[in-house]
Amino acid sequence: MKKILSLLWLCGLLLAGSAPAADWKMDPAGSKLEFIATFEKTPAPGEFKEFDARLRFDPDQPAGGSLDVTIKVTSADMNIPDVNKEIRGKDWFDYAGFPRAEFHSTDLRREGKRYVARGTLTLKGVKQPVEVPFTWTAAGGGAAMEGEFTLKRGAFGIGLGEWKASDTIGADVKVKFKVKLRKG
Amino acid sequence: MLRNTADSWGAPAKLFHWVMAALILAQIALGVMAASWRVSPTKIELFFWHKSTGMLILALVALRLLWRLANPAPLLPPGMARWERAAARMSHLLLYALMIGLPVTGWIVNSASNVPFRIFWLIPLPAIVAPDETTADLVAAVHGGLAALLALVLAAHTGAALRHHFVKRDTVLTRMLPRKTP
Repeated sequence: MKKILSLLWLCGLLLAGSAPAADWKMDPAGSKLEFIATFEKTPAPGEFKEFDARLRFDPDQPAGGSLDVTIKVTSADMNIPDVNKEIRGKDWFDYAGFPRAEFHSTDLRREGKRYVARGTLTLKGVKQPVEVPFTWTAAGGGAAMEGEFTLKRGAFGIGLGEWKASDTIGADVKVKFKVKLRKG
Repeated sequence: MLRNTADSWGAPAKLFHWVMAALILAQIALGVMAASWRVSPTKIELFFWHKSTGMLILALVALRLLWRLANPAPLLPPGMARWERAAARMSHLLLYALMIGLPVTGWIVNSASNVPFRIFWLIPLPAIVAPDETTADLVAAVHGGLAALLALVLAAHTGAALRHHFVKRDTVLTRMLPRKTP
């Protein structure tokens, strides 16, 4: 009996210790996922108009949380009609073959004032480990996560053949996001 | 001699003339190649150099016009027919108009097509019209038409200069050449 009681007590302690991480859903209206390429060393901004993020997260205790993002690659818009036609093709995003990209992380940590989600990005069929740094701002009942990081487009086969060369279209692509979340 | 006189061009006027002549010829070649090249990094490079050179020409023509306003051009040789004088004045006026009109229409196309661009990788070119595909296509056609007109006027300009030299045997061509040191 004493054994069982102490076991229960232990369970209770464990439960209390791992404060329940809240589930968060994205509010598409206030969220933005940008990617900034370069043409002749000049920033060329683009945006994925459709994407979704789900988060299990407690800012005071990020361990045990998770982040899942799905991106509709075919919603990419670089604001230049000719370029939008071009990026559909096999050399670039290959809309037909890989209409979706995903990021999954179960490794969320606090690093100083910000957080980092380490996970796997699947883009154009290529899986690569990616670190996504972000800041967390609670506002009212919701929250916002914001951050940016840089990817090498070549690692995902974005820009094949003669487009692999990085002197006209740069190798680095900056990804910038702002995700508005509400508990749900 | 820096300033123009009644019968000679000063060094700055000659420098403007020949530097811009070289730039304009290169610019026409770049433009034709950029427009006709298949979509590739080379096409992007060609457009980059075409746009950068165009903005350089626009800056130079502004300086050149200021210099020309401060320095009256040498007189035309005596004995030219009325129509010849009119043709000379008209073609020079057209050349200046095209040296401004071509870069400006190119700038409009770049703005309307919303392509980010820095002149020679350095100076961001601000947009002068809102992004719009119809505007871009329309003004690109005008730009091409003006380029064809420029090619015609340049042919007339060169032909007239050669005619002055070989047929009329006056100094119109030689006085624009770099002066030989005596």
